[in-house]
Amino acid sequence: MRFTLSRATSRRPRARPPWLLAVVAVTVPGCLLTACSAPSGSPQDRTPAASRPPAAAGRPAARHSSALAIGLLSAAARAAIATSYQGQELVSRWGNSGETVLTSDIWHVSGGQTVTQTVAAGRYSSGPYLSSDTDGQAPEGVLGVTMPLVRLLETHYTVAYAGPGTVVGDSNRPAQVVEAWRDDGTLAARFWLDDATRLPLEREVFDPAAHLISEDVFFNVRFGNRAPVGPPAGGAADPQGPWTDPLSPGQLLDLRAHGWLVPAGLPGGLSLFAGAQTQTGNGTALGLGYSDGLSVVSVFEQRGNLAAGLSGWQKTTVDGHVIYAAVPDQRSLTWSSRGMVYTVMADAPAQTVNAAVGALPHDSPPGFWKRLSRGFARLASWVNPFR
Amino acid sequence: MSHLGDRLSALVDGELTGAERDRASAHLAGCAQCRAEAAQLRVLKQKLRSLVEGAPAEAAMTRRLISMTGPGGPLPPRRRILRVVPGGRPEPGRGFPASTRPGTLRPRPARRRYLFLGTVSLVVGLGTAAFTAGGGGQAAPGPKITPPVELYSVQHAIITGEVPFSGPSSRAASHAFAPGYGAPPP
Repeated sequence: MRFTLSRATSRRPRARPPWLLAVVAVTVPGCLLTACSAPSGSPQDRTPAASRPPAAAGRPAARHSSALAIGLLSAAARAAIATSYQGQELVSRWGNSGETVLTSDIWHVSGGQTVTQTVAAGRYSSGPYLSSDTDGQAPEGVLGVTMPLVRLLETHYTVAYAGPGTVVGDSNRPAQVVEAWRDDGTLAARFWLDDATRLPLEREVFDPAAHLISEDVFFNVRFGNRAPVGPPAGGAADPQGPWTDPLSPGQLLDLRAHGWLVPAGLPGGLSLFAGAQTQTGNGTALGLGYSDGLSVVSVFEQRGNLAAGLSGWQKTTVDGHVIYAAVPDQRSLTWSSRGMVYTVMADAPAQTVNAAVGALPHDSPPGFWKRLSRGFARLASWVNPFR
Repeated sequence: MSHLGDRLSALVDGELTGAERDRASAHLAGCAQCRAEAAQLRVLKQKLRSLVEGAPAEAAMTRRLISMTGPGGPLPPRRRILRVVPGGRPEPGRGFPASTRPGTLRPRPARRRYLFLGTVSLVVGLGTAAFTAGGGGQAAPGPKITPPVELYSVQHAIITGEVPFSGPSSRAASHAFAPGYGAPPP
């Protein structure tokens, strides 16, 4: 079964970036394959959600609607593991640096492995990323719909069933629409779940100002009972391999006792929900995941100091702190403080990212006397012939 | 009989006047000794005059030297960089107290100003250099880390349930499709 996802503007009248329609329109089996990353407009230029006729007007309060929505999302998270599928995912982000677009091919075997590979300019621009979910612990999913995140979403947002929708394409594929609302009555996210398989096909995320900040589309999807992909051959790339299984709460507490920073939460209602470790050439790295079910902030820690002259990074100021941002998308942020290098990756509104960065340790500028004392010590060390 | 004494020289120089000159002349007329002395003085005076007229430059120098030796204003103070004062300045004309030894250096005003300015300049210069050198972060011990973005993006993708979005570094390299995964979707 195969279909191409497109839009029914009469059902979901909203401003759609013209390039997206163009990309989807020219996407044909076996080719697509354009990924680009270039600033194009600010988030304020995008059509805010508040200006659109919402799929479900007003804030839903019916309990059964919420239960139905949670049930649908949970089914979607399970379907992302249990269903065999392959297709292409178009990921769009709007952040401080503008718009970033990434296209990936995805193959998933029911109950098993997922292979994703980024494509750019008609070629694969990254190695295949293989993840295995055979133990059921790795929160594999599609478009950010995983069981841990669904549970957090239910905790932090009002999740509502918005009714049936249609993914208009070659086959007018029906879908179920689920929305997540904030307590202040603003729309936070909207999901389109395949009516037949419950597999998530699209997700939109809005910031508190009702601007679209991310849009993920899963298109050219093919489902099948037979595994569309085979197992990795000859020790194929397995970037997940170095990372440990998710750490238990007890293990995380133990890490805290050994000097690692393991906050229970970050500003914006982000709760710690994942943690893992890996070994690098410079020692152990710790990865912590924080989320409210929709926004996800990963904090990575590694003992040491940031190397001088980082290539591919540029200085920027976040929440009053001078740190480094990966160019050009500035999705990764890094800095060092007190002998620890922190790196933050986030799929979250800029306000949430800024608050999270601000909540983590930073070296404050030394006071006058401390700086003077340090300077004299350095001068003395420079002229010391015995050092 | 008393001779002319100092008045003989004044008489030879023509400095006596009136009755005093008459009395001196009357004595000179009757005193051979004083006449002989007066004659010697006149000869000496003539010789000195002839020397002054023959060497005016030397005479000017002589006059200046003579004037310097004569009475005049106070000599200019001797220049001394420091005066050693034990616990205070000694009174004029009195030495240091016997129970104290020189130990305190007190600069005179001009020198004190230069010393002050030099000290201030040194302190400001050193302070500026130290303040500049003390900038930047305090390097803690440990390795120099370049964040492994590729590795981190994989973990981020695992917990977010999305495709790895590792940024520009992942797009820089081009890899062949891994064998065993089947062909890309048609």
